[in-house]
Amino acid sequence: MENLVNIFVKSIFIDNMVFAYFLGMCSYLAVSKTVKTSVGLGLAVVFVLGITVPVDYLLHNFVLREGALAWLSPKFAEVDLSFLSFIMFIAIIASMVQLVEMIVEKFAPALYSSLGIFLPLIAVNCAILGGSLFMQERDYNSIAEATSFGLGSGLGFFLAIIGIAAIREKIRYSDIPAPLRGLGITFIITGLMGLAFMSFMGIKI
Amino acid sequence: MKFIRKQLDKMKPSFEKGGKLSSFHSMFDAIETLFFVPKKTAQSGIHVHDSKDSKRLMIIVVLAMVPALLFGMWNTGYQHFLSINETADFWTMFWYGFLKVLPIIIVSYGVGLGLEIVFAQLRGHDVKEGFFVSGMLIPLIVPVNAPLWMVAVATAFAVVIGVEAFGGAGMNILNPALTARAFLFFAYPSHMSGDAVWIAEKADAFSGATPLAEAAAGNSLPSALDMFYGFIPGSIGETSTLAILIGAAILIYTGVGSWKIMLSVALGGLAMGYIFNAFAANQFMEIPAHYHLLMGGFAFGAIFMATDPVSAAQTNKGKWIYGFLIGFIAVLIRVLNPAYPEGMMLAILLLNVFAPLIDHYVVQGNIKRRLKRVKVKA
Repeated sequence: MENLVNIFVKSIFIDNMVFAYFLGMCSYLAVSKTVKTSVGLGLAVVFVLGITVPVDYLLHNFVLREGALAWLSPKFAEVDLSFLSFIMFIAIIASMVQLVEMIVEKFAPALYSSLGIFLPLIAVNCAILGGSLFMQERDYNSIAEATSFGLGSGLGFFLAIIGIAAIREKIRYSDIPAPLRGLGITFIITGLMGLAFMSFMGIKI
Repeated sequence: MKFIRKQLDKMKPSFEKGGKLSSFHSMFDAIETLFFVPKKTAQSGIHVHDSKDSKRLMIIVVLAMVPALLFGMWNTGYQHFLSINETADFWTMFWYGFLKVLPIIIVSYGVGLGLEIVFAQLRGHDVKEGFFVSGMLIPLIVPVNAPLWMVAVATAFAVVIGVEAFGGAGMNILNPALTARAFLFFAYPSHMSGDAVWIAEKADAFSGATPLAEAAAGNSLPSALDMFYGFIPGSIGETSTLAILIGAAILIYTGVGSWKIMLSVALGGLAMGYIFNAFAANQFMEIPAHYHLLMGGFAFGAIFMATDPVSAAQTNKGKWIYGFLIGFIAVLIRVLNPAYPEGMMLAILLLNVFAPLIDHYVVQGNIKRRLKRVKVKA
């Protein structure tokens, strides 16, 4: 149990998807204009990461990795399908995003239209594929660990995107030098936020 | 005063529009408003007119820092003579520290105000007074042995990236002095931490570790009273909790600093300290909770930097949350993160980042509550 909490906290703060790895920047930069839409996108990312990482974990351990197919028959003990992991992970992610899209369209049509193209584009959000690939690389021991990692990473992204959205709402009327307006200042803010998040790096729980 | 007024009046026409030196108008304006309350009034909307303009407010903050500064100068000398095992009288120690600290102050103000004036000229706004405070804060939060060029680079980073990129003082999201400190900390870690940097020209055999470093190493600590008065190694202005409290009294009395933030930071620190005491898994966790308020930059950060009105939370309820989380996270980082003994700086930066979010939800909450009230009536 303690282990699960550790992974969860670690993936939110210490290994934050945005500030430690700079993954998922495209939607992070594009949809963070208002807090309301970024909450929507953040929740969608939490949901997708929370589902795809455990599903990909099962896929990885029972289909793809070397010897994973041994449960079918001993003949397959040497089969290694891990070269397929990219395409399989993306397929899972894309189908999950399709699901989220349908749910959002049905229950929150206003949010659906304000997220626009960025909702289907979660499918190619690198934070999400990154989540599955980190899971593969770090070799989590159980599906529970993988789930807590997925949810934690999603929450880390959620925190980052609503944090920057609130800052961007606050500086909307600031007299920012013309060349920096828009994306330029957003990159600077992201860097400064990364500086603040460095406080957690190196924490051992 | 009359003499200054006369001189300024004599010079004024050449700085006005069409004058010979009109391109240096903002510099003249800065000097004039430094001496006299400006006559300019707002052109639109309704404004309350008051003698408290931002220049006066900033000066009060600088004055509130003077006790900590003077004590820091004396302590610099005291620690130096202690380390080489000599005794010296009060004024020798003070003079020694004065000569060490003054160049840092000059560099910080020179670089910061210089850049501020350049930007004011380029962008055509007035010289803003925000740097008065940051220029004094930066010398107080660096170790006394910090090379001057590092102070200059960090100040330039803080002013250009931290403030001017956002449109000048009052629009920054992070506290500029802390941005400078964090820049130094991550760019030149060997000059910002460890045992060697806190005492000027220290003898090698003398341990110059700060109480925080001693605590992390599991060594014995100075007595609480020593830490309260500040006879300990540390950044120039942060050691004496007593001198900082005098500053706090000035800030609270004049209404410049928010007592809500100061109090809630202390509460947050104590809360986390007691939680660690309850677990007491290692020696650092067993330190009495109130020691955390006395060690390192906790008091200094709580009084002078967390309360920065620009980067702190703006709403009343938000201030409580903001302050509490600063104290809480500062102690958390201190104890759990062996790499960064000084958690206060990073905790304030982190909450600076999330202050707008806290405000957003406090405001939304208020709107929702009021809407409900309206609906019930109707």
